[in-house]
Amino acid sequence: MPILRIFLIFISLNAFSDTLYNFTEESQEIRFNNLIKDIRCPKCTSGSLSSSNAPISEDLKLKIVDMIKENKTDQEIKEYVASRFGKESLYEPDFNKSTYFLWFSPFIFLFLALTFFLFRPK
Amino acid sequence: MQLIFKILIITLPTSFILMFYFFLNENDSYPGANFVESNLPEFKLESLENNEILIKNSLGGDFILNVWASWCITCRVEHSYLMELSNDGIPIVGLNYKDERIDGIEWIKKYGNPYQLIIHDLKGSFAMDLGVTGAPETFLIHDGKIVAHYQGEVNKMIWNDVFMPIIEDRGIF
Repeated sequence: MPILRIFLIFISLNAFSDTLYNFTEESQEIRFNNLIKDIRCPKCTSGSLSSSNAPISEDLKLKIVDMIKENKTDQEIKEYVASRFGKESLYEPDFNKSTYFLWFSPFIFLFLALTFFLFRPK
Repeated sequence: MQLIFKILIITLPTSFILMFYFFLNENDSYPGANFVESNLPEFKLESLENNEILIKNSLGGDFILNVWASWCITCRVEHSYLMELSNDGIPIVGLNYKDERIDGIEWIKKYGNPYQLIIHDLKGSFAMDLGVTGAPETFLIHDGKIVAHYQGEVNKMIWNDVFMPIIEDRGIF
């Protein structure tokens, strides 16, 4: 029955399988996978979108797929998410006036520590 | 040098303690409340009861936008207070969130309708643009702008503490 076996291969379930999110280019899929690691799930205490299958995360992922297909930039997508679900939904904080201290504090503390170390009283 | 060192040894820990004292004591007793003002997003969806197309301009004036669903248990708890608000003359627009049309209509028939208008958002697209993470959530809309957003059940306490101050402040309704 070799003919039947070959036939069975062609009607196997694999023939009808598809990816969950359909992208036209591979670069879009790479961007998507990077984005969902950088965006927090709006409903989880701490977990990225990629780790979450909460209904809201599934919806947000589909929305991101749509936005990528509309050629929105990563920045625009992150702004869309942050304006709706808060600044804390991005793992990497923005670089602006209110976050300067956050970004520079390690260097400030390092500088202070070095100063004290070098000029410590003998 | 010695003096600076001594001063810093006192001031650094004290400033840290003060910083934590003020940041952790922030009077934020309602974590579900958000008062960031934003525009009401555009949408084009059908009404729940009939297939009439609703857009942003169908909603006029100041109103409460309440996100609910028949599968949402907290919405059932919240419902009686919404009926009270509606009887007091507060205009409430419902956003039926990710719900089958028939289930939503049955729910309204069974428990009563506090809504002037119900938008049927089967896929949650408008809710996504609003930043809804689940049901129930409630928005206060003033002049086409969202002025308050509350995640969770609205009851007498929440209404008086979260919504009333901003309603009185801006003279809404």
